Amino acid sequence: MIAVSWAPKAVTVLALTGLAFGAGEIRKELHFKVGKRPMVSINNPYGPVVVRAGAPHQVVVSAILHSDKVELDQSSTRNRVDVISHLLAGSDQNTGLVEYEVQVPPEADLTVHSENGRIHIENLQGDIATEGSDSSVEVLDCANGHVHVKTLNGPVNLSNVRNGHIEIVSMGGDVLLSGVDGPWVSVNSNTGRIQYAGNFGDEGEYDFTSHTGDIEAVAPAFASIDVVARSNQGRVENDFSLEPKHTPFYVKGGNAFAGTLNKAASSVKLFSFSGRIHLKKRQN
Amino acid sequence: MNCLEFERILPEVLEGGHTTERQAHLNSCPACSNLLADLKDISLQAKTLADSAEPSPMVWNALEAQLRSEGLIRRPAAAAPARSPWFRRSKTVWLVPVVAALAIVVGIKLYHPAGAGEKQQAVKHIVVAPGQTVRPVSSDDQQFLNTMATRRPARQARYRADMDDANAFIHDAEQALKSNPGDVYAQQMLINAYEQKQMLYDLAVDRSSLQ
Amino acid sequence: MTGAKRLQGDKLTEAEAIERAKQGDGEAFEFLYHLHKRRVYSLCLRMTGNTATAEDLAQEAFLQLFRKIATFRGESAFSTWLHRMSVNVVLMQLRKKGLPVVPIEETTEGEEEGSVKKEPGAPDERLAGSLDRLQLQRAVDELPPGYRTIFVLHDVEGFEHNEIAEMVGCSIGNSKSQLHKARLKLRELLRTNRAEKAGRR
Repeated sequence: MIAVSWAPKAVTVLALTGLAFGAGEIRKELHFKVGKRPMVSINNPYGPVVVRAGAPHQVVVSAILHSDKVELDQSSTRNRVDVISHLLAGSDQNTGLVEYEVQVPPEADLTVHSENGRIHIENLQGDIATEGSDSSVEVLDCANGHVHVKTLNGPVNLSNVRNGHIEIVSMGGDVLLSGVDGPWVSVNSNTGRIQYAGNFGDEGEYDFTSHTGDIEAVAPAFASIDVVARSNQGRVENDFSLEPKHTPFYVKGGNAFAGTLNKAASSVKLFSFSGRIHLKKRQN
Repeated sequence: MNCLEFERILPEVLEGGHTTERQAHLNSCPACSNLLADLKDISLQAKTLADSAEPSPMVWNALEAQLRSEGLIRRPAAAAPARSPWFRRSKTVWLVPVVAALAIVVGIKLYHPAGAGEKQQAVKHIVVAPGQTVRPVSSDDQQFLNTMATRRPARQARYRADMDDANAFIHDAEQALKSNPGDVYAQQMLINAYEQKQMLYDLAVDRSSLQ
Repeated sequence: MTGAKRLQGDKLTEAEAIERAKQGDGEAFEFLYHLHKRRVYSLCLRMTGNTATAEDLAQEAFLQLFRKIATFRGESAFSTWLHRMSVNVVLMQLRKKGLPVVPIEETTEGEEEGSVKKEPGAPDERLAGSLDRLQLQRAVDELPPGYRTIFVLHDVEGFEHNEIAEMVGCSIGNSKSQLHKARLKLRELLRTNRAEKAGRR
């Protein structure tokens, strides 16, 4: 590959400070200058990662390292910033702990990897991807982007996430969606409980599937939905008076209901193998 | 018009925006004329790259195996068993010797009786070939667990529990599909079950160097 | 003879293959795959520059399509649907890897790569000889990823700027300006490669 022959306009400026913060703790601060819609990736096995929208054209990373058995590796090329908590020999989840607070431009695309730390993201407009084993994931007040969350057992909480393409896969972590609307909202859970409270708006497709986790969806009377709900072995309940669907819906085995509400603009599918499904009417 | 000005509007010229002034400059400036001609050539020749490469036969082999294991392709009785779906990813392919994979959802065959005019769910049937295994292959899971043996015991136990949950979901989804042949919702549930298993492998393998 | 070849021998149409695939016909899937594999794989290869990655992505694109084939109603051409899906799969992969999908909007100062020399009386020579596919292929592989994406989507795959802007998340103006820069860069690469080759003789 021919080396790029022009100087990158996204100049990386590192302001690196190392201050003793507590017994054995070190604080570091990194500053990066970036262009439009940068890609920011934080890989922190142990410890929280909090990301908020900040000023345009810069990424600021503040980190507290809990011991000298972990160091920060960072790289920035053109419009991409990578920060990795590099665990040294002999480190564990205590000595390898790093706490991050990150500010990125609102339109940044973000990727966060964590094993067990809290992941908190707010006020972003770009694409968001998080992966974690036990990490709790909170995504608040974001819009217009793809939000992809993969978790084994950490709880997931999305609140006020609008006009998004949402995909959540969880083994045992409970998933709570509050004020989440978009063209595509999909939750795939094993034992984790799925709770939705919103309008099912945007003429979107809402697919919630679980193995044994219960599914509870709370929607207003004015929700415009075409809903299909089925549990092979669990109970299904519905608070609405649904109109029959135009195409017949046949069920062999299990418990189910299907129908439309108002103009049936959005498609809602609630499926579980043995979890209980309840479509509730919001009490205003 | 000078060369600098021409360069500025060159993209428009390439899209067909000719004017008398621009043509006059081209007629008088070999450099700009050559530049325009080269860029046109590049753009024209680019179209020949559209179909130019052929993937190896392995791509179809892996794809077919995945489609069979997800129940999207029916399985003729004499066909080879499909590979486990989560090993289609390059990072997990080392977990299973190529020749040792067993079928997951094998022997699921869909057929339509002649003259069927009813809704599809009503006429599809499932035939499970005798002796076919419907649970994931345990040797693959054992290899996965062996890989996780370097993690601390509590973490290993969590992975084991998650793996059991994923396998249970796959099993239940397979049974649901067997009971409701052609049920697209049951099919989607099985796909979701595989997706969970894939995620578990991906996340665990990514973190195999941790405690 | 494979099943797909038999279907081809019987002059199966794409529409018939799609309907058969919806019923789970493996031979129909194979027919559809072989019909479109070069286009999909070439797109993945041109955009990533890596054969192993391109094969993975091509497989993923077909897999996503075949999973959804039951919902295909023929409102648009099947190839168009597959084409768009392939692009989305590649773009997701580029984003996931943190590779630039589209270059940042820069205000370039000074001379652009491959553009006309400014010295008067120094005519810029044309790329000598005809431009062949292999040379261009090599040069495209050497483009920086962001430029490569725009060039492949527009000039190779034929997407319009408004479609590219929507897919990659940039403005139409940015798509146009980056395409122009990509072509200029290609011209420079082609000239450099040819000069090196001539020098080795």
